Amino acid sequence: MPQGKIHRVGHACSYTPTALIHAAGFTPYRVLPVGDSPDRAGQLLHDNLCPHAKRILDRAMDEDLPDLDGMVFMNCCDAMRRLSDAWRTVRPKQGVVLVDLPVSPTDTSVSFFAGELTRLAQTLQEWSGQSFTSADISSSIDAMNEMAELLKEISKRARKGTLVGGSSRLQGLFNRGATEPLGQTMELLRSAVGAAERRPTAQNGVPVYLFGNVLPEPEAFAHFESCGVHIAGDSVCTGLRAFNRIGGGNSEDVFWRLARGLLDGPRCPRTFHPSQPGKIAEEVLAEAQACQAKGVIGYTMKFCDPYMSRLPGIRDALREAGLPLLLLDGDCTLRSIGQQRTRIEAFAEMLR
Amino acid sequence: MMLQYFQRLASVTEARISKYPHQPNARKKFALEIAKLGIRLYSGEHRVAWCGVVAPFDVLSAMNVTSCFVEFVGAMLASTGTVGMFLEESEHAGFAADTCGYHRAVLGAAMKGMMPVPDIMIATTCPCSGGLAAMENLARTFKKELFVLDVPSSDTSESVRYLADQYKNMMRFVSDRIGGSIDEDRLRESIVKSNRARELMIEVYRLAQHVPSPANGQSLANFGIVMALFLGTDAGIEIAQAYKDEYEEMIRNGKSGVPDEKIRLLWLQNRIQFKHPLIRLLEEEYQAAIVIDELNDITWDAIDPDDPFTSIARRTITTPLNGKISQRLDHIQRLSKLYKVDGAVNPCHWGCRQGTGARGLIQAGLKEVGVPVVNLEVDCVDTRNFAEGQLRTRLEAFMEMLRSNPTAHGA
Ligand code: SF4
Ligand code: SF4
Repeated sequence: MPQGKIHRVGHACSYTPTALIHAAGFTPYRVLPVGDSPDRAGQLLHDNLCPHAKRILDRAMDEDLPDLDGMVFMNCCDAMRRLSDAWRTVRPKQGVVLVDLPVSPTDTSVSFFAGELTRLAQTLQEWSGQSFTSADISSSIDAMNEMAELLKEISKRARKGTLVGGSSRLQGLFNRGATEPLGQTMELLRSAVGAAERRPTAQNGVPVYLFGNVLPEPEAFAHFESCGVHIAGDSVCTGLRAFNRIGGGNSEDVFWRLARGLLDGPRCPRTFHPSQPGKIAEEVLAEAQACQAKGVIGYTMKFCDPYMSRLPGIRDALREAGLPLLLLDGDCTLRSIGQQRTRIEAFAEMLR
Repeated sequence: MMLQYFQRLASVTEARISKYPHQPNARKKFALEIAKLGIRLYSGEHRVAWCGVVAPFDVLSAMNVTSCFVEFVGAMLASTGTVGMFLEESEHAGFAADTCGYHRAVLGAAMKGMMPVPDIMIATTCPCSGGLAAMENLARTFKKELFVLDVPSSDTSESVRYLADQYKNMMRFVSDRIGGSIDEDRLRESIVKSNRARELMIEVYRLAQHVPSPANGQSLANFGIVMALFLGTDAGIEIAQAYKDEYEEMIRNGKSGVPDEKIRLLWLQNRIQFKHPLIRLLEEEYQAAIVIDELNDITWDAIDPDDPFTSIARRTITTPLNGKISQRLDHIQRLSKLYKVDGAVNPCHWGCRQGTGARGLIQAGLKEVGVPVVNLEVDCVDTRNFAEGQLRTRLEAFMEMLRSNPTAHGA
């Protein structure tokens, strides 16, 4: 791999083992569903697919991406699998790999997933032309964990209302962490953590808990705040969930460690414990209560089966606990959040 | 309601078969076995497992469990014309109308107390995320623990081993809940029956390839997918034998499924499950026969009775709807050539990300082998959204195009 140039490998899901991509010498580059590429993905796929997958494909079709040495897709849902198929059509010369992602963190699934990660490591080695060792992977995990810790600290400040720049700045940092070389991001994050905190300004906004899938636009968070809500806690795929601290430092097999860490980490509804069906509802409730939210906002993609199918259970659990819920249909455009302004304002008003 | 429906279906079908024993009756025998399965599911007298689409029904049958994929109930409700109220029930509860109608129907049925509480629940990650989510919701409704078969996307030795191990765990899960131990002889017997049904089905499909085809728009509708429920049983063998005999006789007598067959069609994925006039339109106005459904194929090798789980795992992983779209495209391209089809009909079932989500890729893949596709925007279960006029116009235009551009295959 020629030196002196940033070599990126793309990915599109919070379950991607970014430490592995990093260990192979690449910058993990999350293809975020942003930008204003023309809406063309529906021709290859169908309009009934989630806007997250479609917008990512729109970006590829529009060449609105930096150079990528390859693309890693996690087999996390039907939409992602179809996106990986379409990607092969749109970019026939690019290396593409689909990694199976088990549904639950049983020992059998963790072992299988560890095998999938081993296979991914081989593919990454082919793409880079360089080999890397378990020790390289361990140190990449450590580096990624450090980034996760810094982001967690910054996120805490944003949730308390003491981060200068608030939630939209935080989202900007998440996006940089997801797309830029680790060294650069770490410097930025360290200086953010080192900077003084501001006096809490959250009093102006009603504390709410936000859950959902993809919400990468920093302006979206500014918008929420301007509608009178303060995000006191959150779980979204483009937030802290994408920076999952991988534990198990003593595990002998680094692939197993990574597999266990990813499957045990904060989860989106595509992953669950079969012995506790529907538990995500209780989890959302517990997290909302833990951050003392007065209400909950669900921001989920239209046509996202994993989320859409769990919303009734979540709604019931929140209703029983007396926590109001506002559901917003996402389509990966800022415009749609703008259009929901009146609803968000009315929700904030009701919670006061 | 469902029990009475299946009982009535069984008695009416039985009466018809015995009244006209010498008329073609393979489809009736198939319907009769479906009715009997429905009775077993709903009578409260049998151990019942609600499952995902690709559960190993022959293994469950060897364990004496009456098992069925839940989408079957959605299809049945659609065919009886009562599906609307169940869809409304689930939509009222917050299940979005943009999700798959099969799942909305079945969730509505469960909420209305129209699904027997199962002894066992086995979800499968294939074919779709929506199906897995529906099973999780049903398990929550029934307050049951779920067993999930996580089906990997590709046919590698690691994947096969992973799934084979899960089958063993599944058997333990089942036997822990229904008591008793796993009877190796019953399993072997079940596998032998699956293999016999498989051989006969290969013959049935081979006969359906004949030009003109003994198949028509109705005879093999939902056949392959529902036959999976009868694998491992005598009923599976008898149904397949009846079709084989009937098709052989038709070919011997120079009879075709659609008289004066002119156009041969491939139907992709799902049938429209409620009564509608489109098949009649195809057959009567264009002499067009649906000679092959995408899901009517044997894509698996015979099961090795000495190592059944490895073979069954491979059977599941190689299901055309599993994994990358290239697996599905290879399959439908192969079918198109084998059955000499002139065109394909793709009912783009609205809520299906897995299938409909690939609409454009499928169209391009079939174009490569010279097979034009008509995409019908429908919901295969939800009668409320059936735009008959538009669909008719679309199909007519497609048929006219095929009629005026006969391919080397068919007309
Ligand atoms: S938003 Fe939902 S449907 Fe889209 S990629 Fe994520 S989990 Fe899949
Ligand atoms: S139609 Fe599609 S979404 Fe519905 S059950 Fe079948 S594969 Fe799943």
